[in-house]
Amino acid sequence: MHLMVEMIRSSILSATPVLLAGLGGAYTFHANVFNIAMEGMMLIGAFTAVAGSYFSGSWIMGVLSGIAGGLVAALIFAIFVVSLKTDEFVTGTALNMLALGGTTYSLRQLFHVKGAFMSHAIQSMPRWNIPLISRIPHLGPILSGHPFIVYASILLAFVVEWHIFGTRYGLRLRAVGEDARAVDSVGVSSDRIKAQAIIASGVLCGLAGAYLSLGYVTLFSENMSNGRGWIALAVIILTRGRPMGLLLMSLVFGLFDGLGLSLQGTIIPPQFTQMVPYIATIVALYFYSREKRSARGGKETPTT
Amino acid sequence: MQDQFIKMDSITKIYPPDTLALDKVDLEIQEGEIHSIIGENGAGKSTLMKVFYGMAPPSGGEIHFRGRKAKFATPREAVASGIGMVHQEFMLIPSYTVYENVILGAEPAGRFGTLRHADTKPKVEELVDTYGLNIDINSRIGDISVGAQQKVEILKLLYRDVDVLIMDEPTAALTPQEAGELFARLRGLNKVGKTIIFISHKLDEVLELSDRITVMRKGRRVVTVDNRGLDKAELARAMVGRDVVFSIEKAPASLGEIVFEARGLRYVDENGVIRLEGVSFDVRRGEIVGIAGVEGNGQYELVQLVTGLLSAQSGRVFIGGHDVTGEDVMARRKLMCYVPQDRKVSGSAQNMSLVDNAIMTHHRLNPEIEDRCEALLSSGRCRAFTSRLVEDFGVLVPELDAPISSLSGGNQQKVVVGREFMLDTDFILLDQPTRGLDVGSIEYVQEEVVRRRDAGAGCLLISADLDELFSLSDRILVMSRGRVVAELRPEATTREEIGEYMLGAKDAQEDWRAREEVGK
Repeated sequence: MHLMVEMIRSSILSATPVLLAGLGGAYTFHANVFNIAMEGMMLIGAFTAVAGSYFSGSWIMGVLSGIAGGLVAALIFAIFVVSLKTDEFVTGTALNMLALGGTTYSLRQLFHVKGAFMSHAIQSMPRWNIPLISRIPHLGPILSGHPFIVYASILLAFVVEWHIFGTRYGLRLRAVGEDARAVDSVGVSSDRIKAQAIIASGVLCGLAGAYLSLGYVTLFSENMSNGRGWIALAVIILTRGRPMGLLLMSLVFGLFDGLGLSLQGTIIPPQFTQMVPYIATIVALYFYSREKRSARGGKETPTT
Repeated sequence: MQDQFIKMDSITKIYPPDTLALDKVDLEIQEGEIHSIIGENGAGKSTLMKVFYGMAPPSGGEIHFRGRKAKFATPREAVASGIGMVHQEFMLIPSYTVYENVILGAEPAGRFGTLRHADTKPKVEELVDTYGLNIDINSRIGDISVGAQQKVEILKLLYRDVDVLIMDEPTAALTPQEAGELFARLRGLNKVGKTIIFISHKLDEVLELSDRITVMRKGRRVVTVDNRGLDKAELARAMVGRDVVFSIEKAPASLGEIVFEARGLRYVDENGVIRLEGVSFDVRRGEIVGIAGVEGNGQYELVQLVTGLLSAQSGRVFIGGHDVTGEDVMARRKLMCYVPQDRKVSGSAQNMSLVDNAIMTHHRLNPEIEDRCEALLSSGRCRAFTSRLVEDFGVLVPELDAPISSLSGGNQQKVVVGREFMLDTDFILLDQPTRGLDVGSIEYVQEEVVRRRDAGAGCLLISADLDELFSLSDRILVMSRGRVVAELRPEATTREEIGEYMLGAKDAQEDWRAREEVGK
């Protein structure tokens, strides 16, 4: 039973960065920007969060600089993709490589360490113990005592759902994704909306990164985003950018991540246990595409 | 100040480096009139409207609107001043509802930008009622017809309260019935005080609808006249600059053996949608068989099945008596020539030279251009071949090595048509061969098609232009929802009858549905 509780608890913890990045990516998904730079934005955010927290001695500054890191990465992406009209895939790949190399390099230059940077000076995010709930056996440890961002991100899923599907901005955003020229023709700049979507994704990916380095653990290690940005991309495609779906699917991913972790120490080699969440993602994509194909059949009518 | 409603003063537009699209155009439009601007493709009608509408800055000249100098930097400013334009291509979001498309860009929103529909939805419904648009504002754009989509475009502008409506080639995508309905609607709008600027290259439409007509040619305004007792031929002369033959003269068909046969073609696309069902017909030597239909009713798939780019789930294709059902594109090309729908995408390689474009397909099939060593092409012979094409088909060309994109649309199409006709096969497949061409080039291509027919070739002509089908075809097949729903003789039918078949409103279609119900 204890193992079970521990697994679910850790699945919530590992679902959070995927959810946050996914919510950010939902914006770019609906704006039809192929945003593969989430991984890099997240990694940069994780690094700047640690640096901010270390130098200022405040976790709030840490989170803010994490967001700022993601924002800067997003601005670079937006300038190239929206203003200079470069290829999204190439730009995103370049940004990811820049993030990996740049953070590794800065780690050595700034903190003179290789691999990982740990310090007592890094202030981590406070954990919230929810009164009453924390006393409930089994459920208490699952729901209570997480870094506050965990709760914030769940709330954020509802906010993003409302923002994308219930507001003026959301209507325009989704319209841009479908036909940018049509949006331009009614006097709304589709480029501006695309840039805003990219910036929103950068902010949320930066936050996800800050969570990784200040909430999940309190350190920065090379390539610490470790494919979560890609998982977020897969989850976005899987849920077609619906925030409620993202909430659910990132929990599923977290569960498999947790499963992988708890399988460590068994006879299964750790390399295999680490694969579990990624294999689960691939399997999910397979079922999704099959589902989609059968759902589409016969539904579409011939149009011009 | 009525005559000062819209006044354009020597508008010039130069596209860099040196294309003079508009050359000192003066135009006055009066309040409450229907004013048509007519001209061939490239005459500058659309450019003039783009300049007026804030989509392209003028290189010179002034525009006055309601007596004041107007310089719209964006369409949004134009709309805010009460001028709206319906573009040739619709600017609609397919997955949104009619209502959502109407409000997009001018959404009613409350706190934090939350959408509020309480006031606007009734307002939009009211507009639909007032102007008799007869559409359900809750249906999705993707589910409604092209004609209805156009109504949505008009509704968008009415919602924004415009006084001037610019319609850019609005009938291009409509059936004759829908076009008739559009004209009635435009007259209705005109009656309640809207000024309408109607851009077209179709003489009949313009004569039917307008109060005044401005003719443009080569970036210049030729003349503006009141539409009273105007003669079509006169107008055409002003437009083209010479006399135009409206109906192609052709002798009665002398039928030979069958050169093409489709038997029971059925095609289901990857989404499981039935695109073609039970399509059977034949084409004989010496005749032109036209295929009419609203776009997207299986014509595209039919062409792909004939050329071999797609393969049918069932049914067979015969060309020149050979069963080519399982054959690849090259095997078929030995037996047929093909003028594709889109000369820019599949008809030519835009960045390659005229010579390269002219020898396409010939480079595989025509020994005439091979080098002595058969594996190579002789560049001299290729050039000679191209020169012959240029001469025979009257292509106006600066030099043979220029990229084909430097030629005008009409000349490009002449290259494509010439190249294909020089293959000299008995079966000719023509997919929208005159789309986007000006009157002069259309005339040329059509005459060429008739010449080939008279020389004994069998032609299959797919066209969205009913006039073309009527003047060229010996038989017209109508396709609707992937089926051939009617076979008609042009001399024994009307545009309206074909239109009814196209829309699936006519009985043959109902019979088919009834049969299918029974079949289930």
